Amino acid sequence: MLSCKQVATIASDYLDKSTPLKWQIRLHLLMCANCRRFVRHMKITRELSKQMVLNKTADDVDTIWNKVQQRIKQDSQSD
Amino acid sequence: MTTTTSTDESELIAQLIHGDDQAFRHVIALYHSLMLNIARAIAGDIFADDIVQEAWVSVYKNIANFERRSSLKTWLLTIVSNQAKARLRKESRQVSLEQLDGEATGSYLDGANFKADGHWQQSIPQWNIESPDALLEEQQLQHCINRTLNLLPPAQKAAFILRDIEQQSFEDICSILAVSAANVRVLVHRARLTLMQVIDRYQETGSC
Ligand SMILES: [Zn+2]
Repeated sequence: MLSCKQVATIASDYLDKSTPLKWQIRLHLLMCANCRRFVRHMKITRELSKQMVLNKTADDVDTIWNKVQQRIKQDSQSD
Repeated sequence: MTTTTSTDESELIAQLIHGDDQAFRHVIALYHSLMLNIARAIAGDIFADDIVQEAWVSVYKNIANFERRSSLKTWLLTIVSNQAKARLRKESRQVSLEQLDGEATGSYLDGANFKADGHWQQSIPQWNIESPDALLEEQQLQHCINRTLNLLPPAQKAAFILRDIEQQSFEDICSILAVSAANVRVLVHRARLTLMQVIDRYQETGSC
């Protein structure tokens, strides 16, 4: 029987369906409320991330674009 | 790699090939920060800005040769990944992603959280809000998550963004970040555990 620690260690693989221990985990989850909650929370976290909007960097597009333009010019001069 | 070139994207690519500056700026706005995260993960913070600029130059020069066998995003990620790997070789710095990312103390997997028999020492905290949609509406939580993401080790951050936010396949992430599948899984798992703890704290205290 798997321990809670083992379940917590491979919980991502379980949710990503990439563990051969699927049935052992299910058996553990049947009997362990803490791990059920743990796996449920991880699943929620994953769902949340899917829809999350990242903070874009503070770098503004103009600055980056100007730097890129400069480099392209330099490159074409040295060719 | 998937071949999901939408009409919008086809149009965008056509504009890029045509040398449309506005289109190029649009693509920079869309992907620059994602590319920075990849460059940081592979080559470190010091070179990241430079690498991504080089990548954009390369994109500008080579867009006409883009064969559309992959999406524009995958193509951009491949370019920045190759530039970062090349830079790493050039600087001959022996940085492996695994070295950069250790197991944090106080994480969910910390031995102190378990009894000798491997059972949880304490019960897992309850969450009052369990619906992802409801959680998304919590502005303060969004702020806490963004803050935490920025504090993650670069490799963890990049692996997590690529997998859980950008929904790339493990296979593609392996080749973009040049790490084994097993390591990508470990990196993503650690990031998820850290975010779970942020949500734990938020549910309990309403702040980060
Ligand atoms: Zn358990």
